[in-house]
This record gives sequence, C-alpha cells and structure tokens, in this order.
Amino acid sequence: MSTTKDFIVAQLKEEISGFKAEISEKSVGKVLKVSDGIALVSGLAEAMMSEILIFKTETVEVTGVALNLEENQVGAIILGDYTAIKEGDEVIATKRILEVPVGENMIGRVVNPLGEPMDGKGKIEAAKFYPIEKIAPGVITRTGVKEPVQTGIKAIDAMIPIGRGQRELIIGDRQLGKTALAIDTIINQKGQNMKCIYVAIGQKESKVANLVTKLTEAGAMNYTTVVLAGASTSASLLYIAPYAGCAMAEYFLDKGEDVLIIYDDLSKHAVSYREISLLLRRPPGREAYPGDVFYLHSRLLERACKLNKDFGGGSITALPIIETQAGDLSAYIPTNVISITDGQIFLEPDLFYKGNRPAVNAGLSVSRVGSSAQIKAMKKVAGKMRLEAAQYRELAAFAQFGSDLDADTRKKLERGKRLYEIFKQDQYQPLSVAKQVAVYYALINGFMDNVPVEKIKEFEAGLYKYADLNDAVLKAIETKKEIDAEVETSLKKLIEDYKATVDYLIK
Amino acid sequence: MKISAQQYAQSLFDSVAGKSEKEVKAILKSFVAILGKNRELNKEVAIVTAFLEIWNQEHGEVVATLESARELGPTARETVVDYLKTKTDAAKIILEENIDKDLIGGFVLRYGSKVLDGSLKNSLNSLKNKISN
Repeated sequence: MSTTKDFIVAQLKEEISGFKAEISEKSVGKVLKVSDGIALVSGLAEAMMSEILIFKTETVEVTGVALNLEENQVGAIILGDYTAIKEGDEVIATKRILEVPVGENMIGRVVNPLGEPMDGKGKIEAAKFYPIEKIAPGVITRTGVKEPVQTGIKAIDAMIPIGRGQRELIIGDRQLGKTALAIDTIINQKGQNMKCIYVAIGQKESKVANLVTKLTEAGAMNYTTVVLAGASTSASLLYIAPYAGCAMAEYFLDKGEDVLIIYDDLSKHAVSYREISLLLRRPPGREAYPGDVFYLHSRLLERACKLNKDFGGGSITALPIIETQAGDLSAYIPTNVISITDGQIFLEPDLFYKGNRPAVNAGLSVSRVGSSAQIKAMKKVAGKMRLEAAQYRELAAFAQFGSDLDADTRKKLERGKRLYEIFKQDQYQPLSVAKQVAVYYALINGFMDNVPVEKIKEFEAGLYKYADLNDAVLKAIETKKEIDAEVETSLKKLIEDYKATVDYLIK
Repeated sequence: MKISAQQYAQSLFDSVAGKSEKEVKAILKSFVAILGKNRELNKEVAIVTAFLEIWNQEHGEVVATLESARELGPTARETVVDYLKTKTDAAKIILEENIDKDLIGGFVLRYGSKVLDGSLKNSLNSLKNKISN
C-alpha cells in the first residue's frame, strides 16, 4: 500500500499548518423575506447588480444573485434550494459578478446553467470563468456575415440561408418540429469546424434526455454542450440559462472559433423573467411582461456576432426558438424577437399536417443577411426558389377552382409540386450541401419533369446513392463551391446516367 | 400620498435640529398628533430606527457592536475604535460590547452592513469546509 497512516497524518499536519483563515471585512445583510425563489435582503449597502450573494443557512450555503438594488433593501433571486433559507439569515456579498465555468472541457457535457455537470460523468475542470452578462462586441470589432452555416435542411439552405454570425429565429406553434430543425442543424455541423451549444430552457427533461441520446448516436456530442434548465428548474435558473450558454460560447469566440448556439426556447425564458419581475414587484406591462423584456432578449441576441480578422475572426450564430400560441405572430414576445433577429423561419401547421415536413413557410420566412453567405453553387441553383415556392402555393390555391389552365401555368404547377416534394425531409437526416446542389440542379434544369410526383422521393434517394458511388462530382462541388462548365457537364452526365437506370419515368 | 417612515424621521430630525429641550417637547407632541391623525402610529419602530440612523449620520457617529470571547483590555478597545475611525471617518464611535463564549477566541465586529469576523469559531468552520471539500 502506498498510503500509510503516517503519511496521511503528516499531510494533514502540513495542510493545517498551511491553513490561514482569512480575516477580511465583509458586507453583510439579513434576509427580510423569502418567497418563491426570491429574497429581500436588508443591508448590503455596496451590493452590485448581478453580484453573487451567499445565503448562510443553518445547514447549507445557498447562492443568489442581486437583481434589484433599492434604497434600503436588495432584491435577489436564489439559485438553489430556497426552502432552506429563513428570515434573519445572514447574507454575504462576494464582490463577484455571476460567472460560469467555460472551456474545452464543457464540450460533450450536459450542464446546468451554473456550469455544474448534470450527466453523471464527473467533475468538470474549467479553464476559465466568464461573466454571464457581457456587453456585446462593438461595431469596430465586427464584420459582415459571409460564411454559411450549413443546416443540412434542403428548404432552409436553399431559401433561407443562414450565415455564421447571424441570428435566425425559428418560430411556430408547438409540435411543428422547431427543435427538430435545430437538432438536425447541430448534427450537420460534423466536420464543419463548428462548436455547438444547445440551451434547453424550460423543456421537459425526458425530451432533452432523448435529444442527447440522438446527438450521441449521431456523434454530435463531440462538439456540443447542452445547457439544461428543465421544466422543474426554478425561474431564476431558467432566467440565467441563455446568458450562461452565451458565456460558454464566448470562450470559443475569443479563441477565434465559430459557435452555433440554440436557445430553446425564448418564450419560456420571457415567462420565467416575468415571474421573477412580478415577484420582485416590478410594474407589469403588456401581457404582464415587465418593461425591459425587449432588452432581455436584445442584449442576449446582440452577443451573436461575426468578428473581423483583427479580433480573431470568430463567430457566434444564434438560433433562438419561439413558440407561438395558435400561430399568433403578433403577440408581444414573437414580435420583439422577430424585430431583433436577422430573419425568421416560420413553421406552419397547415404544411405540417399536409405532410410537408419540415413545415417551412416560404413566404413568411426570410433571411436578411444569409444570402451573401451562400456558396456560389447553391446561389446558382436556388436563386429564385423562395419566390417560386411562394408563387406555387398561391397558384395551387387558385388552380383548385378551374381546370382550364394554360400550358405555362400547368408547367409551373408541376414544377412546384416537385419542388415541395423535394423540400420534404425526414428528421435526423441532414443532407450535405453538394447533394442539395445536385438535386436542385436536376429540378431546375427539367431533369425531374418526367419523374412522377409520387416517385420523387424514391428518385431523390436513388440519386444520392448513385452520386455517392460516383463521388467525383460531389467532391468537385464541395471543393470548388461553384458550378463551372466542367462541373456542370459532369453533373448533367451523372443525372442522365442515373435516370437511365430507373423505370418509372413518364413517357 | 403615503409618507414613509424614512420621510417622517427626516422631517422630525430637521424640525428638532438646534432646538432647546422645551421646544423639542412641543415639537414631539405635535409630531405624535400628526402621526395619530394619519393613523400611522404603528410605524413607531421604523421611524425611531430611521431617526437614529439619520442622527448618527449627521453627527458623525457610528454604532458598532463587538462580540468577543473574553472582555477586551483598554489597548485592544483603543485599536478597534481607531480602526473604525479610519474606516468610517466618524468623529465618535459608540462601541457596544458583548461577551460570547461560543466564539472560543477572537472577536466579531459589526458596523453598518459590514462584518469583520476574526473569531476562532469562524476560522475553524472554514477549516472544516476546506477539509470536507
């Protein structure tokens, strides 16, 4: 045995002789009132905004954060078990702003908003601590969005492209696949030089557990951190969760890396902030949200950025998610977040129940900056796709009334049907950009016009398989990122060769 | 509009400033009458606390409590008072002393919302925390 009792005793003696209790002046207060995760504290004259406070109870020490600084008292949210705190307990100010551990070791882990592990894989050695609230990078440090985030979702990459450093809102009713879009995007970041952070705010823990399993299966946990503030977590932790996730992202940003962060979802975040605000007796406004609920989200999303080369060239791409009630886009929080972000992906129940999944509404979805980030090849094939898709839906609705249509309209309708068929995509199956280009090329150049609509899916799957077997073309698209004459001829040949092998073409 | 205890205390302080004992008695009488009329006699404790705070602040007085395991000698007391004077810029220190055997050794000094905990009990507790973590 390597450890003897003498050794232990000697070590203990050494430790104790080296121990020096620090005597320093501390700012203290007393708990006046505790309720529902909120405490009112007297004293603490020098408390700072969002400073960590320690509540000394009989059994444990509970942390809290100062949120309301008033004349005679401080309002604080409690980040732990508030039932242990009693009136009259001592509260100590720590002179530290709330911060979370960040670093490479957070990757592959599931943590709570304070950076503590939730996955039972042991302690996390943090490289650094970052404050959860930080002023967003200024104008001087930024540059335009120009590199793409490949979501791997055909409808999005073609019509609503997202660039690195962009903030793209995913909005829709419950159960329309908002989270699925985000997860597919994370899965597709494999080998794309991207770190991912998924912040679950008020989500069912069973759903998050499922999702972590899926990510692990897809090998996506090798570059992903999950920040989990589940439905059973207190409002205070829900409130800080997105800021904590953003702080973890900023660590990689500062290293010049690209990060994708998903806030799922910000409507629950707003609700938790409303709860805190009302308990702190801040005056309620529209829908009982406090006056600063816009700033709540704008300061968070403004931290998404693309830095220029002088500042490391990193980026944070934010995909906030908002859940609407019965498709009401004009509610308070949805309008706020729509106005903050650089575009939105709107998911529609009608499309979803018709079987068009992902149910992206082409007309209402936009990306204000993403098109400059699209690769040339995609731009060439997907140029007017959004317009065409939107037109098709109008035309299809109109065409229901009459059967006498001119050839041009009929052609448009047929093309549109096939386009919508291509937009359909199963969950957990993101598609590489080269394959997307290939299938769109086939469509817009009329190669699919004689494929029956109900066979499109089969045709598409076969085309990918065939392209994988002769992968020179895909590789050329991936490396050149554009369709030059050489690529075009080989792509044409590939599609024609493949078409020769299928037997269901319309004669 | 409701008048807060702080405001009552401030106005009381302002009106009694520089008055003789007889005048103060008259002022207090009418002050209590106003409180009664406003039905706010129940704010008495808060008003007294706020008044003492204002008084101490205006007169440069600091009230401090010192808990120690044993009674302090005169030099030790002097040191504490000097420390408080440099820390708070107060002209006068009112030191309330308590003996608390539970502290084992050392002292705990409280003034305003500050605490200087130099007790052996506290040190032992932090040693305990350090070992158990």
